[in-house]
Amino acid sequence: MASAEAWLFAPGDPRRVAALRIGLGAVLALRLATGPYLELARQPAALFRPISFLHLLDAMPSPGIVAVLQVVATAAAVLACAGVAARVTLPLAWAGALPLIAMTSSLGKVVHNDVLLLLALVPLLPARSADAWSPGARRRRAGRAPGVAYGWPVRTALLVVAGAYFFTGLAKLLHAGPAWVTSGNLRWVLYASSDSAAAPNPAALFVADRPWLAHLVAFATLALELGFPLVLLRPRAALVLVPCVLAMHAGIWVAMGLNYWPMAVTVVLVLVDWAAVADRLRPYNHFLRLKKSHRPAPDSTMSPSAQA
Amino acid sequence: MQNVQRLAVPAWTRWFVGAFLTVFVVCGVAGVEAWPLTGWRLFADARRPVQVAWQAVTVDGAGHETPVPFRDLPVGFHGNVQVLKGFARLPAAEQAAVCRAWADAVRARGGQVEAVRIYRTGADVSRRVGERGAPPARELRWTCQGGGVAAA
Repeated sequence: MASAEAWLFAPGDPRRVAALRIGLGAVLALRLATGPYLELARQPAALFRPISFLHLLDAMPSPGIVAVLQVVATAAAVLACAGVAARVTLPLAWAGALPLIAMTSSLGKVVHNDVLLLLALVPLLPARSADAWSPGARRRRAGRAPGVAYGWPVRTALLVVAGAYFFTGLAKLLHAGPAWVTSGNLRWVLYASSDSAAAPNPAALFVADRPWLAHLVAFATLALELGFPLVLLRPRAALVLVPCVLAMHAGIWVAMGLNYWPMAVTVVLVLVDWAAVADRLRPYNHFLRLKKSHRPAPDSTMSPSAQA
Repeated sequence: MQNVQRLAVPAWTRWFVGAFLTVFVVCGVAGVEAWPLTGWRLFADARRPVQVAWQAVTVDGAGHETPVPFRDLPVGFHGNVQVLKGFARLPAAEQAAVCRAWADAVRARGGQVEAVRIYRTGADVSRRVGERGAPPARELRWTCQGGGVAAA
């Protein structure tokens, strides 16, 4: 327990927190700007199946309220992403996103697309996420010294991402047991998905028509989900597990038409050490800057007469 | 190596992180849905080849049935599977309101709706006819007409 706490609250690089602010903030802004919230606001009340705190309402929030919420939350997310007053704008964007995204899950079924994004953002809400890669940090010429204020937000987000996949696998074990892999479960899921689509899905049928392949895919899915926390113990395991998760989401999209891109992008944003990536790219930046400074100034190429 | 700012982590930070991770783990292990916290039940149940489902159709003046084109309706209508699953538990007035909402949406697309019928279907997806499943068996359960709902 003590070693886990020491790991969680160890110092971290401010740029890694900043990278999460920029990346997750950008995904949130995109989701808020493009989500179908205004269309949902026009839903007939009889079809409203509220989730969580939306039980307080009898119908979806009105289009007027939704429009204001969408504009404010999107603007706040863009500002947070840019590092402008991030300790105010990021919580504002998150709080504004909550009812909007809850609307998408108020049709009778929990939609998990944005849940991981929202949960991975939670540790950033009170964190000092704009001490690097922000206009304020540039003005202050703030250093890049690691500190205890920058470790826990990233590691908490890491725990959330690893936990999300582990619990997804655990739920399969608890509700279906080994039958999730050993029965025809995945075949029936894929057949039903293809049959309910306007046209048969060749990818779904390719797997479902081959029982051995369906078992293999089911086993690989469960193993990947339950094994994902390995990234916490062996960070280099992310080199294998992250591409596998991306492949899994791509496969679900192709075979079933379920697009979980916000979840997949959240995994990449949280698990990649963007500060290390920036350090690796620094020699190239330096090279580009040098090249720029050696380029002749446009004025010097002009003839004296033209300059006159 | 850069200088590390070794100030103590504030107590509120430890409490905040501890409380957040605790509820995250409790929801994950116990399968609690307290959105945005969730039990992560994504395709968690083992499906069987015989699957019970529901189908809503509109009936025009000539008695022809047409499945309600939920996919082509606005996104607010896309929860049809869950609404139909819980239809039996709804009070009669709410059942009528659901049918009215669907009928109005179909009429708004130019369809003619005299009644809405709801069928319970049973499909065995393991029985294949080419690239499609064999047609499901259907059983009429409700008819919504003239503002009322009649169970079959």
